[in-house]
Amino acid sequence: MAELSPTPPKGQESIPFWRDGRVIGVLAQIAFVVMVVLGTAWLLNNVNDNIGALGSFRCADGTESFRCGFNFLSIDAQFDISESIIRYEPSDSYARALLVGALNTLKVTVLGVILATILGTLAGIARLSTNWLVSNMAKWYVDFFRNTPLLLQLFFIYFGVILLFPAIKDAIQPFGLPIFLSQRGINMPGPVFMPSFSIWMAFLVLGIIQAQVTWLFLGRREEQTGKSSNRGLWAFLSFVLVAVLGWYVAGGTANSQGIMVTNATRVREFGDIETLVLSRLPVSDLGDIDTAVADGSLSTEALTTASLQICAVKDAPSEVNFTSQLRRAGIPFVVNRTDRLNQATEAYVAGDCEVLVAPQAALASERSTLENGANHSVIAIAETPVRISVPRIEGLNFIGGIKLTPSFAAILIGLVLYTGAFIAEIVRAGIQSVAKGQTEAARALGLSESQRLRLVVLPQAMRVIIPPLTSQYLNLAKNSSLAIAVGFADLWAIAYTTLNQSGRSVQVFMIVMAAYLTLSLSISFMLNWYNRRIALVER
Amino acid sequence: MTTTKSSATPLTKAEEVIVCKDVQKWYGDFHALRGISLTVKKGEVIVILGPSGSGKSTFIRCINRLEEHQQGEISVEGTILNYDVRNIAEIRREVGMVFQQFNLFPHLTVLDNVTLAPIHVRKWSRDHAEDRAMHWLTRVGIPEQANKYPGQLSGGQQQRVAIARTLTMEPKILLFDEPTSALDPEMIKEVLDVMRDLATEGYTILAVTHEMGFARTVADRIIFMDAGQIVEENTPENFFTNPDNERTKLFLNQILHH
Amino acid sequence: MTTWIQSLQERVGNGREFHFDSGRFIRENITKSWLFTLWLIILTYLTLAYTISQFRSLPFTTGVLVLAWLLTVSLTVYNEITRSHNTLTLWLRNNLYSSITNTLLSLLLVLAIVAAVWGFIDYAFLRASFTRVPEEAQAILAQFDSPGANWGAVLDNMRNLMVFRYPKEDSWRLWFVILYMGALLAASTFVFSQERFRRHRIRQALTGIWLATPVLTFMLLLGVKPVPGRTVDFLIRLLAVLAGLVALFFLSRGLLKRFPSLIVSFLVTVLWAAAAVTAVYLLRGTLVAGLNPDIAWGGLLLTLIIAVFAIVASFPLGVLLALGRRSQIRGIPPWLTYSTAAVFTAYYLYTNTLPAFAAATTIVQQLFSLWPLLFLVIAYLFQKYFKGNVVALFCTFYIEGIRGVPLITVLFMSIILFPILLPKGMEILSTWRVMAAAALFAAAYLAENVRGGLQSIPKGQYEAADAIGLNTFQKYRLIILPQAIRTVIPAIVGQFIGLFKDTTLIAIVGLVELLGVANLISAQTDWLGVRREPYIFLMLIYFTGSWVMATSSRRLEKRMGVGER
Repeated sequence: MAELSPTPPKGQESIPFWRDGRVIGVLAQIAFVVMVVLGTAWLLNNVNDNIGALGSFRCADGTESFRCGFNFLSIDAQFDISESIIRYEPSDSYARALLVGALNTLKVTVLGVILATILGTLAGIARLSTNWLVSNMAKWYVDFFRNTPLLLQLFFIYFGVILLFPAIKDAIQPFGLPIFLSQRGINMPGPVFMPSFSIWMAFLVLGIIQAQVTWLFLGRREEQTGKSSNRGLWAFLSFVLVAVLGWYVAGGTANSQGIMVTNATRVREFGDIETLVLSRLPVSDLGDIDTAVADGSLSTEALTTASLQICAVKDAPSEVNFTSQLRRAGIPFVVNRTDRLNQATEAYVAGDCEVLVAPQAALASERSTLENGANHSVIAIAETPVRISVPRIEGLNFIGGIKLTPSFAAILIGLVLYTGAFIAEIVRAGIQSVAKGQTEAARALGLSESQRLRLVVLPQAMRVIIPPLTSQYLNLAKNSSLAIAVGFADLWAIAYTTLNQSGRSVQVFMIVMAAYLTLSLSISFMLNWYNRRIALVER
Repeated sequence: MTTTKSSATPLTKAEEVIVCKDVQKWYGDFHALRGISLTVKKGEVIVILGPSGSGKSTFIRCINRLEEHQQGEISVEGTILNYDVRNIAEIRREVGMVFQQFNLFPHLTVLDNVTLAPIHVRKWSRDHAEDRAMHWLTRVGIPEQANKYPGQLSGGQQQRVAIARTLTMEPKILLFDEPTSALDPEMIKEVLDVMRDLATEGYTILAVTHEMGFARTVADRIIFMDAGQIVEENTPENFFTNPDNERTKLFLNQILHH
Repeated sequence: MTTWIQSLQERVGNGREFHFDSGRFIRENITKSWLFTLWLIILTYLTLAYTISQFRSLPFTTGVLVLAWLLTVSLTVYNEITRSHNTLTLWLRNNLYSSITNTLLSLLLVLAIVAAVWGFIDYAFLRASFTRVPEEAQAILAQFDSPGANWGAVLDNMRNLMVFRYPKEDSWRLWFVILYMGALLAASTFVFSQERFRRHRIRQALTGIWLATPVLTFMLLLGVKPVPGRTVDFLIRLLAVLAGLVALFFLSRGLLKRFPSLIVSFLVTVLWAAAAVTAVYLLRGTLVAGLNPDIAWGGLLLTLIIAVFAIVASFPLGVLLALGRRSQIRGIPPWLTYSTAAVFTAYYLYTNTLPAFAAATTIVQQLFSLWPLLFLVIAYLFQKYFKGNVVALFCTFYIEGIRGVPLITVLFMSIILFPILLPKGMEILSTWRVMAAAALFAAAYLAENVRGGLQSIPKGQYEAADAIGLNTFQKYRLIILPQAIRTVIPAIVGQFIGLFKDTTLIAIVGLVELLGVANLISAQTDWLGVRREPYIFLMLIYFTGSWVMATSSRRLEKRMGVGER
């Protein structure tokens, strides 16, 4: 073939490197690397000039190293944190303080994501409601919260609403529900989990499996017989059956709870308590106490002295379990609440109360350390897996229930309302994106309303919804850093205090950035994984 | 008109405008072109046929470097196509290409579409460029659409704008990559008519198409490709009436008795 | 009343005009599914409970509303059954009373909305004080058990909210900027909407003015003026600089026209940068900023400056980042990557790991001392995910890094870390730091938007641009970016709205923008503790601003969608 080109064509000679497409690219890359490296070196040099002098990266032996820059983390933090999931005291290290902050951020994020999803989904569906009022209200909600700054909303909620709530004794109870809004924040009923909850949990899982099996089984029978049965209802009922069964089994088998009494009281089981208290009252039946107090034959002081005197750890499951049983039996009682078990034990030993409430195991070990252990006996108390604890005002405080501090309430409510508005738009767009034709096709196939939603609309809408939803979750996680504005001790708030107190700005920023990046990346990885899964199912 | 073309005087070697020698290309593990050798002379009209996936589009896209070949040699107008960016630019100036999907620029008017390259690549003044553009738009029969946007035109009109855009650059070689495949049947004719005219005007044309009528009447040579190789190279008469290769016969059978 | 019953009986008697299928009615409204029935029961209970509770607090209003509800419902039902809808009842039937649940829901919501709206009117107007005299306001509010809004605080602080401490004698600058922007906007809207100005010089001139506008407004707002006594000197230098810039403009245009290559465009960029530095050098000492932005800028003014600056400055950077992330330049070849990594690994293994490994007492320490092997892992990942493309790697890390952390930390970083990153002795005002941080932050988000636009451009557009002989620079400037940016204009407007709202965060780092002023009001002795009112006013400002921008962007989108694509 060589004879086809008599003269060597242009370009046959070797290509000069500045015109070679392969070389130009690599040269550009290398030039870029050099620029970045030089820039970084310049910045690092400046950092060294500026804070190297402050000794922020100096080790104990006088040398400087990256690792030594983080030694400050083990120093005592010496500042207090208003709320914490784990135990924390000012004498704990900076590292632990930061961990407390990270957990608080996580708490806000997780709760916020769950609640915002619920609110957003409801509002998104409401936007599409056939009811003019419903859809317009949802529209106004979405428009208002999307078009005003989150920080402004937070300030308004915190300074303009929550901090202006009345004092504790005038706490607002919306619609007469056992929810208390006061300057101390929001107190509302909440579950208290007993140790036997884990057994019940197992039953719940079993119940879900059972419901699934029922669902599938009935579905297959529907396919065979061609007759539709109420399989949703039956699946639900089978779940309820297992759950109820589990409740009694868990409550019946568990014996983790107990009380300690002195043998002198002659209390041997729960029923004896009633006899004991009745023996100190001028009535023959507990039901008569109210009438006795009303007609004046029993003074309130006398009732208080006759009541069962209890020592317990404040808001501990044991306390909730025992007092709610007493309340149900109608036995009057007075609780001496302490923060720690050893304080409760001390009060019991000092004779402040007749009964010490705690888990049986803890009581047994406490008894063995008592001077005269044989004089005391530990009695098993029945328990249910979950007790609902309702807040009550006692003195100047709330007892029981779930307590949201003003800061936490503000940041949580703010994030949920704001993110919910964005999620509502996403949900609405997602549902609307499923073309009308699809809905009509489903109708033509004779699918019922719920089947249409479940089998046709939702799977397709989810594919549209998940990606923007991911970024909303990420935004929520990042926006939780605004907690600093309302004084909630989240990661950034604590990091900022640490930074000011220790002066290790570079290190603190590195830690904070790493933490937030980890949080962001884990959220997006999880949702990407889920997105891939539903995308696969679809195709 | 087409008869004058085939009776043209034999061409000398100096007029070989495209020379491909053993061109090979892989997409990952897939061997797309398996040694294509082809010489195109000045003014020749070559139609490339073949089943889909046979590499015919890939091959003509290699000629103006929309795809990189990995082995062998392609030279256009005496310029070798290699990694030299200057050679690539030189070749692209001389080779025009018309795409299956037209690929007009939707954000520019028809006139801007056509004058863009002459102004920015050939460095013509705007007036001169617009003058030439109107000339070619008139030639393809749509001067009145000059100030519209591509989205407002029909498929056939869009393809004719694309042809005018290519011709305003005054290329010596034209590449057509299935120019009629995305068109409605009634619009195919208007585009084929333009192509037919161009073929008679001395342009060197390489066309990938499924229009058998066009191939039979206009082409000087027909190349049949399968599985990345040239299976048969023949004159139109021989190709359609008496093909050499079994694979070609099968293909023609499927096409013609469809 | 009697006629109504008579006519109903007549119709029932006829049996023809009476369109009511009770079986179907029950099926569709009550027993659709067991969940639906449950929902109906709960809803009925809620409606009843709420209505009764509203009767207690607002007996008259509630009574009227319930009566109206009963009346319209029965009217609608009657018209439905007799198929004699008029416009009103048809609307009611379709929008409020389409089913039993909707009918109940409508009552519930009407009561709730009326209560809420009434509550707000009561608070904001009826029990409110509008006087700017604090003592009077106190007297007015004291009349009420639960006093309403104290709008005097907002009215009294209106100037603070708008411009905070911008000197009164410099106010003309603000008015000038407002008028200038208004005129420019009006002129551009007119010129750019007229087809006859398509190729007109006036469009180029306007574009030029727009490009110069940021610098001009900036100088105006900073109160820039010649140093006293050097006015003439300044004018001469200014003329020289302007002449030079004009010359450079034509030079670079000519250069770009003749040699339209990446290298020349890079050179031109360098030339312009050099020219900018020279201009600053020439004018130095003759001009002085009359105002310190840290002090003079505040309120809505600062909010707008930061939002506009961030979006304008982030634009070029964002586009570059997006292009960089998607860049297809040939990467560093594997052999070069691995050999470089190997050199580093070997060096650190020798100098660092050898002594550390020997000294290590536990296996964990031994493992940790092997860290230089990470170089090889990084090299492998780099080749696998970025194909050796450092530019893409850098841009991806920048974009994802910024997007992964909250704005508030970036702002604090700018306040605390910028000084550390700069050479010793170099100081930057907080305002500049925050503005830079906002722009760098916005660039990462903008880059993602632009990337979305780039992804939406079909491959054919790139190929056509290549095929007609455009070089890379021309391809992006003329074909790809105009289309990409046009498709993402709505997203960019959305981002601008976000930025406008996010400027509130700089109140936390200590600059006094709108929210900062609002927070300060409650600390004034005159208006101690007044918080809600400024916040409500701010919400109004932000809501109006964002809402107007969102609506006009939607309109623009619709208009641009016509004809051009």
